[in-house]
Amino acid sequence: MKMEKFPKNQDDQLLDYLDGKLDATQLDLLRKKLENSSDLNERLESLRLVHRTLSLGKLESPSSTFVNKVMSKLNTSPFSSGLSPKNGLLLLLGVTVAVGMLLVLLNAGIFDQFKGLVALPQTAPAQKYLQQSLPSISINGKLMIKILIGLNLMLAFLVLDKTVLRPFFQKRAGAEL
Amino acid sequence: MISLQEENELIDQILGGRQEPYARLVDHYKSYAFTIAFKILNNRGEAEEAAQDSFIKAFHYLKSFNRDARFSTWLYRIVFNTAVSYKRKNRVVLTSLENHERTHESDQSLEREDKQVFVSQAMNHLNEADRLAIQLYYIKEFSLEEVAEMMGQNMNTLKVRIHRARQRLADELKKILKEEALTL
Repeated sequence: MKMEKFPKNQDDQLLDYLDGKLDATQLDLLRKKLENSSDLNERLESLRLVHRTLSLGKLESPSSTFVNKVMSKLNTSPFSSGLSPKNGLLLLLGVTVAVGMLLVLLNAGIFDQFKGLVALPQTAPAQKYLQQSLPSISINGKLMIKILIGLNLMLAFLVLDKTVLRPFFQKRAGAEL
Repeated sequence: MISLQEENELIDQILGGRQEPYARLVDHYKSYAFTIAFKILNNRGEAEEAAQDSFIKAFHYLKSFNRDARFSTWLYRIVFNTAVSYKRKNRVVLTSLENHERTHESDQSLEREDKQVFVSQAMNHLNEADRLAIQLYYIKEFSLEEVAEMMGQNMNTLKVRIHRARQRLADELKKILKEEALTL
Protein backbone atom coordinates (compact mmCIF):
# COMPACT_ATOMS: atom_id res chain seq x y z
CA MET A 1 0.00 0.00 0.00
CA LYS A 2 1.44 3.40 -0.97
CA MET A 3 1.33 5.91 1.81
CA GLU A 4 0.31 9.45 1.04
CA LYS A 5 2.72 11.97 2.53
CA PHE A 6 1.44 14.90 4.53
CA PRO A 7 2.83 18.35 3.59
CA LYS A 8 6.05 18.81 5.54
CA ASN A 9 5.51 22.41 6.61
CA GLN A 10 2.11 21.54 8.07
CA ASP A 11 3.64 18.64 9.98
CA ASP A 12 6.26 21.02 11.34
CA GLN A 13 3.55 23.34 12.54
CA LEU A 14 1.60 20.55 14.21
CA LEU A 15 4.68 19.18 15.92
CA ASP A 16 5.61 22.66 17.13
CA TYR A 17 2.06 22.96 18.49
CA LEU A 18 2.39 19.65 20.37
CA ASP A 19 5.75 20.76 21.75
CA GLY A 20 4.18 24.05 22.90
CA LYS A 21 6.43 26.12 20.67
CA LEU A 22 3.78 28.20 18.87
CA ASP A 23 3.10 31.78 19.89
CA ALA A 24 -0.42 33.24 20.10
CA THR A 25 -0.52 34.41 16.46
CA GLN A 26 0.71 31.10 15.10
CA LEU A 27 -1.75 29.30 17.36
CA ASP A 28 -4.68 31.34 15.99
CA LEU A 29 -3.56 30.64 12.46
CA LEU A 30 -3.38 26.92 13.15
CA ARG A 31 -6.83 26.92 14.79
CA LYS A 32 -8.33 28.49 11.67
CA LYS A 33 -6.61 25.91 9.47
CA LEU A 34 -7.89 23.10 11.69
CA GLU A 35 -11.47 24.40 11.46
CA ASN A 36 -11.31 24.17 7.68
CA SER A 37 -9.45 20.92 7.17
CA SER A 38 -10.51 17.47 8.31
CA ASP A 39 -7.23 16.06 6.95
CA LEU A 40 -5.26 18.39 9.15
CA ASN A 41 -7.40 17.40 12.15
CA GLU A 42 -6.80 13.74 11.42
CA ARG A 43 -3.07 14.32 11.12
CA LEU A 44 -3.01 16.23 14.39
CA GLU A 45 -4.76 13.32 16.11
CA SER A 46 -2.16 10.85 14.79
CA LEU A 47 0.73 13.03 15.88
CA ARG A 48 -0.94 13.70 19.24
CA LEU A 49 -1.37 9.98 19.86
CA VAL A 50 2.32 9.38 19.05
CA HIS A 51 3.32 12.28 21.28
CA ARG A 52 1.15 11.17 24.23
CA THR A 53 2.16 7.54 24.04
CA LEU A 54 5.85 8.31 23.84
CA SER A 55 5.51 10.78 26.70
CA LEU A 56 4.61 7.81 28.91
CA GLY A 57 8.23 6.66 28.54
CA LYS A 58 9.74 6.27 31.97
CA LEU A 59 12.92 5.11 33.62
CA GLU A 60 13.12 1.35 33.95
CA SER A 61 14.32 -0.24 37.17
CA PRO A 62 16.94 -2.98 37.20
CA SER A 63 16.84 -5.87 39.70
CA SER A 64 17.15 -5.14 43.41
CA THR A 65 20.54 -6.88 43.52
CA PHE A 66 22.00 -4.66 40.77
CA VAL A 67 24.32 -2.59 43.01
CA ASN A 68 25.61 -5.64 44.87
CA LYS A 69 26.32 -7.46 41.62
CA VAL A 70 28.29 -4.50 40.24
CA MET A 71 30.25 -4.07 43.46
CA SER A 72 31.10 -7.79 43.61
CA LYS A 73 32.43 -7.69 40.04
CA LEU A 74 34.43 -4.46 40.32
CA ASN A 75 37.75 -6.22 40.29
CA THR A 76 37.03 -8.27 37.20
CA SER A 77 38.09 -7.20 33.73
CA PRO A 78 35.37 -5.23 31.93
CA PHE A 79 36.25 -6.58 28.52
CA SER A 80 35.08 -10.09 27.80
CA SER A 81 35.95 -11.39 24.38
CA GLY A 82 35.68 -15.08 23.57
CA LEU A 83 39.48 -15.45 23.49
CA SER A 84 41.82 -14.37 26.23
CA PRO A 85 44.73 -12.22 24.93
CA LYS A 86 47.16 -15.06 25.75
CA ASN A 87 45.16 -17.71 23.87
CA GLY A 88 44.53 -15.32 21.02
CA LEU A 89 48.22 -14.57 20.61
CA LEU A 90 49.07 -18.29 20.76
CA LEU A 91 46.47 -18.98 18.08
CA LEU A 92 47.82 -16.12 16.01
CA LEU A 93 51.34 -17.53 16.35
CA GLY A 94 50.12 -21.00 15.33
CA VAL A 95 48.32 -19.66 12.26
CA THR A 96 51.38 -17.60 11.26
CA VAL A 97 53.67 -20.64 11.60
CA ALA A 98 51.25 -22.75 9.53
CA VAL A 99 51.12 -20.10 6.81
CA GLY A 100 54.92 -19.80 6.86
CA MET A 101 55.37 -23.57 6.51
CA LEU A 102 52.86 -23.75 3.66
CA LEU A 103 54.65 -20.91 1.86
CA VAL A 104 58.03 -22.65 2.23
CA LEU A 105 56.60 -25.94 0.92
CA LEU A 106 54.86 -24.11 -1.92
CA ASN A 107 58.07 -22.34 -2.97
CA ALA A 108 59.99 -25.63 -2.79
CA GLY A 109 57.61 -26.97 -5.46
CA ILE A 110 56.23 -29.78 -3.28
CA PHE A 111 52.69 -29.22 -4.53
CA ASP A 112 53.60 -28.82 -8.21
CA GLN A 113 53.09 -32.54 -8.81
CA PHE A 114 49.58 -32.63 -7.27
CA LYS A 115 47.82 -32.09 -10.56
CA GLY A 116 45.45 -34.21 -12.48
CA LEU A 117 41.91 -35.24 -13.27
CA VAL A 118 39.57 -37.03 -10.89
CA ALA A 119 36.80 -39.00 -12.55
CA LEU A 120 33.37 -38.75 -10.97
CA PRO A 121 31.78 -42.12 -10.17
CA GLN A 122 29.00 -42.97 -12.58
CA THR A 123 25.99 -44.16 -10.57
CA ALA A 124 23.31 -46.46 -11.96
CA PRO A 125 20.51 -43.84 -12.21
CA ALA A 126 22.94 -41.40 -13.86
CA GLN A 127 23.91 -44.04 -16.41
CA LYS A 128 20.23 -44.68 -17.10
CA TYR A 129 19.26 -41.08 -17.80
CA LEU A 130 22.47 -39.49 -19.09
CA GLN A 131 23.80 -40.33 -22.51
CA GLN A 132 27.21 -38.81 -21.88
CA SER A 133 29.56 -39.71 -19.04
CA LEU A 134 30.09 -37.21 -16.20
CA PRO A 135 33.07 -34.86 -16.72
CA SER A 136 36.24 -35.34 -14.69
CA ILE A 137 37.27 -32.71 -12.14
CA SER A 138 40.62 -31.05 -12.51
CA ILE A 139 42.65 -30.90 -9.28
CA ASN A 140 45.41 -28.36 -8.81
CA GLY A 141 47.29 -28.88 -5.53
CA LYS A 142 49.14 -25.58 -5.81
CA LEU A 143 45.90 -23.62 -6.16
CA MET A 144 44.33 -25.44 -3.23
CA ILE A 145 47.28 -24.60 -1.00
CA LYS A 146 47.07 -20.97 -2.09
CA ILE A 147 43.41 -20.90 -1.11
CA LEU A 148 44.31 -22.52 2.22
CA ILE A 149 46.95 -19.84 2.82
CA GLY A 150 44.40 -17.13 2.01
CA LEU A 151 41.90 -18.60 4.50
CA ASN A 152 44.61 -18.83 7.16
CA LEU A 153 45.55 -15.21 6.60
CA MET A 154 41.91 -14.19 7.02
CA LEU A 155 41.71 -16.20 10.24
CA ALA A 156 44.94 -14.58 11.45
CA PHE A 157 43.50 -11.13 10.77
CA LEU A 158 40.28 -11.96 12.66
CA VAL A 159 42.24 -13.25 15.65
CA LEU A 160 44.48 -10.18 15.57
CA ASP A 161 41.43 -7.94 15.49
CA LYS A 162 39.63 -9.72 18.32
CA THR A 163 42.53 -10.16 20.70
CA VAL A 164 44.83 -7.20 20.01
CA LEU A 165 43.36 -4.41 17.89
CA ARG A 166 39.82 -4.23 19.28
CA PRO A 167 40.78 -4.34 22.99
CA PHE A 168 43.48 -1.73 22.27
CA PHE A 169 41.09 0.69 20.56
CA GLN A 170 38.35 0.05 23.13
CA LYS A 171 40.79 0.88 25.89
CA ARG A 172 41.85 4.02 24.07
CA ALA A 173 38.21 5.02 23.49
CA GLY A 174 37.51 4.43 27.15
CA ALA A 175 40.47 6.58 28.09
CA GLU A 176 39.29 9.36 25.81
CA LEU A 177 35.77 9.44 27.22
CA MET B 1 19.82 12.72 44.96
CA ILE B 2 23.54 13.48 44.68
CA SER B 3 24.73 17.04 44.16
CA LEU B 4 27.54 17.82 41.73
CA GLN B 5 29.89 18.63 44.61
CA GLU B 6 29.00 15.41 46.41
CA GLU B 7 29.52 13.48 43.18
CA ASN B 8 33.01 14.97 42.77
CA GLU B 9 33.85 14.10 46.38
CA LEU B 10 32.75 10.52 45.81
CA ILE B 11 34.89 10.33 42.66
CA ASP B 12 37.88 11.71 44.61
CA GLN B 13 37.41 9.03 47.27
CA ILE B 14 37.19 6.28 44.63
CA LEU B 15 40.30 7.57 42.89
CA GLY B 16 41.96 7.60 46.29
CA GLY B 17 41.58 3.81 46.40
CA ARG B 18 38.22 3.26 48.12
CA GLN B 19 35.59 1.15 46.39
CA GLU B 20 32.62 1.60 48.76
CA PRO B 21 31.69 5.14 47.60
CA TYR B 22 31.20 3.78 44.11
CA ALA B 23 28.11 1.92 45.37
CA ARG B 24 26.39 5.29 45.86
CA LEU B 25 27.12 6.34 42.30
CA VAL B 26 25.90 2.97 40.99
CA ASP B 27 22.75 3.22 43.07
CA HIS B 28 22.06 6.74 41.86
CA TYR B 29 22.59 6.07 38.15
CA LYS B 30 21.47 2.43 37.90
CA SER B 31 17.99 3.20 36.52
CA TYR B 32 19.34 5.65 33.94
CA ALA B 33 21.98 3.18 32.79
CA PHE B 34 19.54 0.27 32.76
CA THR B 35 16.96 2.27 30.80
CA ILE B 36 19.46 3.22 28.08
CA ALA B 37 20.63 -0.39 27.79
CA PHE B 38 17.05 -1.67 27.79
CA LYS B 39 15.98 0.71 25.03
CA ILE B 40 18.86 -0.56 22.90
CA LEU B 41 18.67 -4.26 23.70
CA ASN B 42 14.96 -4.67 24.36
CA ASN B 43 15.70 -7.52 26.71
CA ARG B 44 15.81 -7.05 30.47
CA GLY B 45 18.44 -9.72 31.18
CA GLU B 46 20.82 -8.47 28.49
CA ALA B 47 20.20 -4.87 29.53
CA GLU B 48 21.03 -5.63 33.14
CA GLU B 49 24.25 -7.36 32.12
CA ALA B 50 25.24 -4.51 29.78
CA ALA B 51 24.48 -1.89 32.43
CA GLN B 52 26.53 -3.76 35.02
CA ASP B 53 29.41 -4.13 32.58
CA SER B 54 29.22 -0.39 31.86
CA PHE B 55 29.54 0.47 35.55
CA ILE B 56 32.55 -1.84 35.82
CA LYS B 57 34.14 -0.16 32.77
CA ALA B 58 33.41 3.27 34.21
CA PHE B 59 35.08 2.23 37.47
CA HIS B 60 38.19 0.98 35.68
CA TYR B 61 38.47 4.12 33.54
CA LEU B 62 37.47 6.63 36.18
CA LYS B 63 41.01 8.03 36.18
CA SER B 64 40.51 9.18 32.61
CA PHE B 65 37.19 10.87 33.35
CA ASN B 66 37.50 14.50 32.31
CA ARG B 67 35.66 16.58 34.89
CA ASP B 68 34.75 19.24 32.34
CA ALA B 69 31.81 17.01 31.48
CA ARG B 70 29.22 15.64 33.90
CA PHE B 71 29.84 12.14 35.21
CA SER B 72 26.37 11.18 34.00
CA THR B 73 27.13 12.22 30.40
CA TRP B 74 30.37 10.24 30.46
CA LEU B 75 28.64 7.19 31.97
CA TYR B 76 25.69 7.28 29.54
CA ARG B 77 28.10 7.23 26.62
CA ILE B 78 29.81 4.16 28.05
CA VAL B 79 26.43 2.47 28.59
CA PHE B 80 25.34 3.34 25.07
CA ASN B 81 28.52 1.94 23.49
CA THR B 82 28.48 -1.15 25.68
CA ALA B 83 24.84 -1.93 24.89
CA VAL B 84 25.43 -1.41 21.16
CA SER B 85 28.38 -3.81 21.24
CA TYR B 86 26.27 -6.33 23.22
CA LYS B 87 23.65 -6.08 20.55
CA ARG B 88 26.19 -6.70 17.78
CA LYS B 89 27.65 -9.60 19.72
CA ASN B 90 24.45 -11.33 20.73
CA ARG B 91 22.20 -10.30 17.85
CA VAL B 92 19.24 -9.87 20.17
CA VAL B 93 15.96 -10.30 18.34
CA LEU B 94 14.17 -7.00 18.23
CA THR B 95 10.56 -7.30 19.15
CA SER B 96 10.22 -3.67 20.10
CA LEU B 97 6.85 -4.37 21.63
CA GLU B 98 7.79 -3.44 25.13
CA ASN B 99 4.18 -3.89 26.03
CA HIS B 100 4.95 -7.59 26.44
CA GLU B 101 6.76 -6.69 29.61
CA ARG B 102 4.71 -3.70 30.63
CA THR B 103 2.62 -4.23 33.71
CA HIS B 104 -1.04 -3.60 33.27
CA GLU B 105 -1.84 -0.67 35.44
CA SER B 106 -5.42 -0.65 36.57
CA ASP B 107 -6.07 2.99 35.73
CA GLN B 108 -5.29 2.56 32.04
CA SER B 109 -8.28 2.06 29.84
CA LEU B 110 -8.33 -0.75 27.30
CA GLU B 111 -8.62 1.69 24.43
CA ARG B 112 -5.57 3.61 25.58
CA GLU B 113 -3.59 0.38 25.83
CA ASP B 114 -4.70 -0.59 22.33
CA LYS B 115 -3.49 2.71 20.98
CA GLN B 116 -0.17 2.27 22.74
CA VAL B 117 0.18 -1.12 21.09
CA PHE B 118 -0.46 0.49 17.71
CA VAL B 119 2.21 3.10 18.38
CA SER B 120 4.58 0.31 19.41
CA GLN B 121 3.79 -1.52 16.19
CA ALA B 122 4.48 1.67 14.26
CA MET B 123 7.83 1.92 16.09
CA ASN B 124 8.86 -1.34 14.42
CA HIS B 125 8.89 0.51 11.11
CA LEU B 126 11.49 3.01 12.26
CA ASN B 127 15.15 2.37 11.74
CA GLU B 128 17.06 1.55 14.88
CA ALA B 129 18.74 4.93 15.35
CA ASP B 130 15.46 6.84 14.92
CA ARG B 131 13.64 4.51 17.29
CA LEU B 132 16.28 4.85 19.94
CA ALA B 133 16.56 8.63 19.57
CA ILE B 134 12.83 9.15 19.95
CA GLN B 135 12.52 6.77 22.89
CA LEU B 136 15.34 8.41 24.81
CA TYR B 137 14.13 11.90 23.91
CA TYR B 138 10.75 11.20 25.44
CA ILE B 139 12.17 10.01 28.74
CA LYS B 140 11.96 13.27 30.58
CA GLU B 141 14.95 12.50 32.78
CA PHE B 142 17.25 12.77 29.74
CA SER B 143 17.83 16.16 28.16
CA LEU B 144 18.19 16.57 24.41
CA GLU B 145 21.87 17.43 24.98
CA GLU B 146 22.39 14.23 26.95
CA VAL B 147 20.74 12.09 24.28
CA ALA B 148 22.84 13.78 21.58
CA GLU B 149 25.99 13.25 23.61
CA MET B 150 25.33 9.59 24.35
CA MET B 151 24.41 8.82 20.74
CA GLY B 152 27.47 10.71 19.50
CA GLN B 153 25.43 13.06 17.33
CA ASN B 154 25.14 16.80 17.19
CA MET B 155 21.99 18.44 18.46
CA ASN B 156 20.69 19.49 15.05
CA THR B 157 21.06 16.01 13.58
CA LEU B 158 19.24 14.58 16.57
CA LYS B 159 16.44 17.14 16.33
CA VAL B 160 15.94 16.31 12.65
CA ARG B 161 16.01 12.59 13.47
CA ILE B 162 13.36 12.95 16.17
CA HIS B 163 11.21 15.19 14.01
CA ARG B 164 11.40 12.76 11.10
CA ALA B 165 10.70 9.79 13.39
CA ARG B 166 7.52 11.39 14.72
CA GLN B 167 6.30 12.06 11.19
CA ARG B 168 7.03 8.51 10.16
CA LEU B 169 5.25 7.16 13.24
CA ALA B 170 2.15 9.21 12.44
CA ASP B 171 2.23 7.86 8.85
CA GLU B 172 2.59 4.28 10.05
CA LEU B 173 -0.06 4.73 12.71
CA LYS B 174 -2.55 5.94 10.13
CA LYS B 175 -1.78 2.91 8.00
CA ILE B 176 -2.16 0.50 10.96
CA LEU B 177 -5.44 2.08 12.10
CA LYS B 178 -6.78 1.87 8.56
CA GLU B 179 -5.88 -1.84 8.38
CA GLU B 180 -7.46 -2.42 11.80
CA ALA B 181 -10.65 -0.70 10.67
CA LEU B 182 -10.81 -2.93 7.61
CA THR B 183 -10.50 -6.11 9.68
CA LEU B 184 -13.36 -5.12 12.03
